[in-house]
Amino acid sequence: MEKNNKKIMTGNQAIARGFYEAGGLVASSYPGSPTVEILESVQSYPEVDAHFSTNEKVALETAIGASFAGVRAMVSMKHVGVNIAADPLMTFTQTPVRGGFMIVSGDDPGMNSSQNEQDNRNMAKFANMAVLAPADSQEAKDYTEIALEISETYAMPVMLQITSRVCHGRCLVEVGERKEAIKEEFPRDVPSYAMIPPNTLDKQYAMKDRLERLAEGPEVEVLNRIEKEENAKTLIITTGLPYFQLKELGELDVPVAVLKLGMAYPLPKTWLQQQVENYEKILVVEEMTPFIENELKLMGIPCKGKEYFPFTGELSQEVLSNGLRKAGLLKENAEKEVEASAEDTSVTPRPPLFCAGCPHRPVFDILKKSKVMVNNDIGCYSMGLFPPFEASHSLISMGATIGISSGMLKANRKAGRDIPLVSVIGDGTFFHSGMPGMVNLLNHLHPEDNLTILILDNGTTAMTGGQKNASTGKRLPEKEKHVEITQLVEAMGIEDVQTLDQFQYKKTSETVKKAIATPGLSVLVMTRPCALHFKIKEPVYHVDPEVCIGCRTCIKTNCPPLRMKGYEGQEKMKSSIDPAMCVGCSICAQVCPVDAIKRREGGEQNETN
Amino acid sequence: MKPINVMIAGIGGQGLVMTTELICQAAFLEGYEIKSNDVIGLAQRGGRVWGSVRIGEKVLSPDIPLGEGDILIGVEPLEALRWKDNMKADAKVVLNRHQVYPTNVQQEKEPYPDELIQQMLEAFDSLELDALLEARKCGNEKAANTLMIGCVSRFLPVSEENWMEAIRRTYPEKVHEVNEKAWRKGKELAEE
Repeated sequence: MEKNNKKIMTGNQAIARGFYEAGGLVASSYPGSPTVEILESVQSYPEVDAHFSTNEKVALETAIGASFAGVRAMVSMKHVGVNIAADPLMTFTQTPVRGGFMIVSGDDPGMNSSQNEQDNRNMAKFANMAVLAPADSQEAKDYTEIALEISETYAMPVMLQITSRVCHGRCLVEVGERKEAIKEEFPRDVPSYAMIPPNTLDKQYAMKDRLERLAEGPEVEVLNRIEKEENAKTLIITTGLPYFQLKELGELDVPVAVLKLGMAYPLPKTWLQQQVENYEKILVVEEMTPFIENELKLMGIPCKGKEYFPFTGELSQEVLSNGLRKAGLLKENAEKEVEASAEDTSVTPRPPLFCAGCPHRPVFDILKKSKVMVNNDIGCYSMGLFPPFEASHSLISMGATIGISSGMLKANRKAGRDIPLVSVIGDGTFFHSGMPGMVNLLNHLHPEDNLTILILDNGTTAMTGGQKNASTGKRLPEKEKHVEITQLVEAMGIEDVQTLDQFQYKKTSETVKKAIATPGLSVLVMTRPCALHFKIKEPVYHVDPEVCIGCRTCIKTNCPPLRMKGYEGQEKMKSSIDPAMCVGCSICAQVCPVDAIKRREGGEQNETN
Repeated sequence: MKPINVMIAGIGGQGLVMTTELICQAAFLEGYEIKSNDVIGLAQRGGRVWGSVRIGEKVLSPDIPLGEGDILIGVEPLEALRWKDNMKADAKVVLNRHQVYPTNVQQEKEPYPDELIQQMLEAFDSLELDALLEARKCGNEKAANTLMIGCVSRFLPVSEENWMEAIRRTYPEKVHEVNEKAWRKGKELAEE
């Protein structure tokens, strides 16, 4: 793929390449959009140990251990993962880092695939660490190498903050050779690496000192640059992808100089003060919070930013040009805003839906029909919130459902209400952070509290692309070590634990409804694996229009191959199944009240899906 | 040279990310600079996915400036319709006829916008085809996107040789032949 040492890479692939070339030896992660592909790409370099961990905290701890041991380590996660990992991070950051340590935070301005939009530059500042913010794949690779260097030079963890578009965007990247970078083994240096008082007192000063040194260090001119413009009285300070969006707009109606910051924290005060000297007006163009704007103001550099540009969402070229118009730098159509996106938003939306053969489908069909209150967790089953199911009532964060249901039960009990609750959680999320919520139920629940926990054990971390988790092993052709969820839950002191194959619709429906109607705690483990990663190879189904009564019970399961259509000789619309999409899971046939849906005779299998 | 802007629209599971990769590889082999982007939503399947590839001597943003799209590859018709306003008046459109209903249409809350799609086809220099069927004839319907690239290949500054090389670099070996065949078939269909 090489041509003049250049390759096409996504931002994610480029980070992996940078880590490889910088001699990285241990990479860890918990999968989350937009950074899933980083670790998967590192796995293509056999020199590096690259594994997904059970959650971001364990992933970060793994990288800490590797760094302690004197090798370069990287841990990648989506922005909210840093919350899970924050506990070890906030303490580890106090230690003098040995092997270069980089944490990648995949931020998601505009929330294409996330439950919130948190700007993790703030987290990095909180943790007294530097932040580098690449604008394209080339920078993603370069900054990875620089981040690891900085980490070792200043004995500090470094954050690479990358946004979804830079993660998934491609450009040409110059590649080079790998250089090994192993340090001597971990010494016994308790004051430096055991963070217990009074060892921690000096560390507060050390953290302050290293940031101040970096702000004056030679890296400042490597990572930050100014593009001067003749007669410019305005300076735009920008970082990340908005830099390229700004350049794409071409010449503005007023001459402007552009200062691009590759290092979003710490800001190089001395250097910046020199750069801004000759400008009358300083404008900050950054996505999400006014992070740089506030830092500049703290330094006494007057500037404007969020007065013109939104504090949330992506700074697309359109959004950017609207802000520049408000700021008086673009004059054309000064009075009117352009559309914020080229997309025609009047076209009906297309939310994601459960795949054909998805084991979550019967579960949410049953929950919808049960009209019960459901606290949801994070995974593909989040889609149970969407029409036509609309079965779930809440969704907050990874592993939260059991704790939330527990609190709700307490509140209802004290308030004199008797409301049965259901918590839904997947295997990956259960291992990630659902287990403490389950253990916490011990001695918290009263006998009259009615909680049904559905563990949807589909054997994979499905939503992020089917990564392995602790439940995967038993489903592989050559069985690997795995955790039996049923045994685990029983060991937590829970008596009513049942396993169910949710493709036995009637039995599952009866069991779920019984559990909901019975006070006490029931745990139902649903065992059908993910249809995308463990393919169903069954004969496809078809609708007999003579028998179909057009009741739409099957349609309401939202299976992709199903649709209503007109048949010749039939007055009413009847259901139909696209054989190219059907995988033969049989759920539609099982919910049909008149047995109008049948297996195709001859047992033709659909292998394309 | 101003960049050539290609827009691809479809749904999760239709292989769009590989398709943008293929176009990038081909343009790269031809010696151009590229930037691309794929916007993928929550889940693996079923939701909308769209991508852009920009090909030129110098490319800054991976995103197509408003209304500057040159080529629209619609792997699903309704998804292509979303982006019609981002296309130049003389844009080329290739559209796979195969409809996949979004939930609102499946649940009969809204009709499938057949008329609007027809209007879009008439407004541009368009080619509509059943790409799945044509690709199946070549040996595998998964090569449908490559076939559609073949359809618009004469508007892209890449030689046939480099397209073939790009296919070999992008896809696993067992599907090289079917993709090569599908690309040529697409080119042929567009010439007819």
